[in-house]
Amino acid sequence: MLLEAAIGVMGAGIGAGLVAIGAGLGIGNLAGKALESMARQPEASGNIQGAMVLTAAFIEGVALFGEVVCLLAVLAGK
Amino acid sequence: MKYLKAGNIRLFWVTTFVYLFLIFNSLQFLQASDSHAAAQGGEIDVAGIMIHHVTDTHDWHFFDLPGEGHYEAISIDLPWLIYDNRTGLSVYPTTEDLLHSGKYILEHGKVAPISFEVTSINQLAHHVEEDFKNAGGKNIELDSLYWVNLFAREHYVLVQDHNPNIPPRLYKLDMESTVLDLSLTKTSLQMVLVGLAMILVFISVAGYYSRRKGQGPKGLQSFVEPVIVFIRDQIAIPHLGEKKYARFLPYLLTLFFFIWFSNLFGLTPLNSNIAGNISVTLALAILTFIITLFSASRSFWGHVFWFPGVPLPVKFLMMPVEIVGMFTKPFALTVRLFANIAAGHLMLLALIGLIFILGKGGQSVVGGLSISPLTLAFGLFIYCLEFLVAVVQAYVFTLLTAVFIGQAMADHSHDHAEDHSSTDHALAGGSHH
Repeated sequence: MLLEAAIGVMGAGIGAGLVAIGAGLGIGNLAGKALESMARQPEASGNIQGAMVLTAAFIEGVALFGEVVCLLAVLAGK
Repeated sequence: MKYLKAGNIRLFWVTTFVYLFLIFNSLQFLQASDSHAAAQGGEIDVAGIMIHHVTDTHDWHFFDLPGEGHYEAISIDLPWLIYDNRTGLSVYPTTEDLLHSGKYILEHGKVAPISFEVTSINQLAHHVEEDFKNAGGKNIELDSLYWVNLFAREHYVLVQDHNPNIPPRLYKLDMESTVLDLSLTKTSLQMVLVGLAMILVFISVAGYYSRRKGQGPKGLQSFVEPVIVFIRDQIAIPHLGEKKYARFLPYLLTLFFFIWFSNLFGLTPLNSNIAGNISVTLALAILTFIITLFSASRSFWGHVFWFPGVPLPVKFLMMPVEIVGMFTKPFALTVRLFANIAAGHLMLLALIGLIFILGKGGQSVVGGLSISPLTLAFGLFIYCLEFLVAVVQAYVFTLLTAVFIGQAMADHSHDHAEDHSSTDHALAGGSHH
């Protein structure tokens, strides 16, 4: 019983880490590309920034789903 | 005025942030009530305090002062307003009054109606007799399984007081009565306060506009005006169109300022966590959802139920996908705002909690002191980041609301060719861009 709970908590921790990796890769990629295109075309910065924030919000949304699930897994194990 | 040099102003802001951070977080921790401290044998239950902060309660707890042998809670008890089909509507000023009424108990913070407290074994023996009768004289084994079944069936509840020295009490729940808890909780009271602050700010700003027609903005006006113009020019017009944006601008502005103000309120030392409550964000998302549905064009419904320009089998495949997609958008809005704000608050509390964990609740001074510089540095960083998150999350919620409404209003019937390539049904809610 204790082992099961411990594995559950461990899974939640590992899951949170994986979520962070995924979101980091996604947002890093996004911001990198956006900065690149801003450097190429500074006059389009405004549009690029808006689209970047919107997309980052989507990526973040998925990441936060994951984090909430991990949090629930920890709390359910208590 | 000579003191107001740029360097001094910067110093002023830095000190303000440091003080706000310290006050905010230490007060959250003084909320460690005597039950937390007593149950853990002097150690402070950090996880309990963190959970307590993000959940909604019936008292507005500011901090605790050390009294004689216990902590004195400095808090406002919010009244319970309860509708019960036995007695009708009744008000109990404090939680103690509610429990002393003998009609209710609190089960995980929720009100449950009881018929009586079980004080003698005879009351239980009555049920055993009934069971023997119902079983038609067959033998019933009074093993632990029998008691578990009996308790599950008859809905007895064992209530343990916060104080471990008081023995638990057994109650029988009243299964016939329904109870509706209509009380104003901590979060709803704080929402009302934020609403009042917004009314004050915007009435005074509106007054400026009517009194100073044609002149430059002044005072509060010059603080609010750029934000309003930003939302109009960067959010409303690009996504809703020149013609139709004016209808939705009031909603977008209300949304933005409500989320922003409540997030800022959450960063004061007043134990507030409005947008970090999933019910609040769900309500906001449902409003957006309703407005989206009511402003949807014919072609939006066409895309949902009978996707144009694809073979017939794919139309049937697309229908459930589109319907699910309709609901994931408000769901994503709900979770994004809730998780961002709650996670920020939890992170701050966890960082400060490190001091109490390593300091063993005051027993190990070295442990507490060694971790404090790290806590201060990281905590201060996250605290400043939270001010950014407060405005970014308000912006994102407003932006996505505008995007969803604009998407639903758009008439796609003429531009099918490029439209389908950009229709994504991602979990986070797609956007046509």
